[in-house]
Amino acid sequence: MKIEAVGKPPGCKLLRISAELSEPPGDDSIVKSISIRGDFFAIPEDEFEIVEKRLAGTRVAGLAHVFDALTAEMRIRAIGISGSGILATLRGAIDEISVQDTADRL
Amino acid sequence: MKYPFRILQTGCNTAYFNMGLDEAILESVADSSAIPTLRLYCWKPAAISLGYFQGIADEVDIAACERQGIDIVRRITGGGAVFHDAEVTYSIVIPEGHPLAPATILDSYSAICSGIIAGLEGLGVEAEFAPINDIVSGGKKVSGNAQTRKKGCLLQHGTVLLKVDVDKMFGILNVPKEKALGKMISDVKARVTSLSDILRREISFEEASEAMRAGFVRALGLDSREEAPAPEEVAKAKELAAEKFSTREWIYRR
Repeated sequence: MKIEAVGKPPGCKLLRISAELSEPPGDDSIVKSISIRGDFFAIPEDEFEIVEKRLAGTRVAGLAHVFDALTAEMRIRAIGISGSGILATLRGAIDEISVQDTADRL
Repeated sequence: MKYPFRILQTGCNTAYFNMGLDEAILESVADSSAIPTLRLYCWKPAAISLGYFQGIADEVDIAACERQGIDIVRRITGGGAVFHDAEVTYSIVIPEGHPLAPATILDSYSAICSGIIAGLEGLGVEAEFAPINDIVSGGKKVSGNAQTRKKGCLLQHGTVLLKVDVDKMFGILNVPKEKALGKMISDVKARVTSLSDILRREISFEEASEAMRAGFVRALGLDSREEAPAPEEVAKAKELAAEKFSTREWIYRR
């Protein structure tokens, strides 16, 4: 399923995420694709797109660790964005879906 | 210690040429055909510049920009969307390893922003650096800045607002559905200011850019000479404007 997430987690600039996740959405979902947009900085900029591609196949719960490991491996200096911030933003959107699903069933 | 520096005053140009010239200067400093460079400039027509990682549809009312003749350009630097109208814009290009280019990005923002703070002081405006990349006066933002590092050089560019028309800004920016437009406008008016608001008078581009020039020279210890961009740089800027910065492929990449 496709999911859109927006957030400004602690220590981050505004983050906007578009992701395709395996169902059901949750920590065990696999990220099929992800686009991360926002007001942050990541140098070198063109390496960030490689990180987005390499996040595909990651479990949602592992996103923070994998993002931070990739940016370290690729020596990307990330300001205003972090693995934990990406995960928090995505989880926020997943939680809203769960709440809406529950409300729909009542 | 004074550091040899070139200062360029290139006046008002299109968004595409401005971004092209910033990149052309980075290339010429990187290949040592130019010494470290400070440029002061403005934008005509008014334009929105997007940060490298921003989604154009997320941030901009494209149809409203087209109706009002406001150009949209994507920067090579990250950060947020900026509406370029009544302001002084600067760019500074310094080789990494130069004494004026601290190794860490946060330190380098602070160091370079000291030039703007000194410029504002010269106008009688008290201001301070607000990490990561802002300058505030009286708790309100008066300058935003963005940095990248490529080809062994640091490029930082930023703006000092001469006037701010928040209602006009929100006429061309997208407002998140979750937020009420009225509240967003009043929030921004509470958090953003301009030189004309602070000084309670009109201030021209010429007066403000001269103050910024003097501030950078004083705060960074520049042994500066005023020059025009090299013909090769202008040619490169025009090429980048035509083949990169004005193209749909670049502007709509996110």
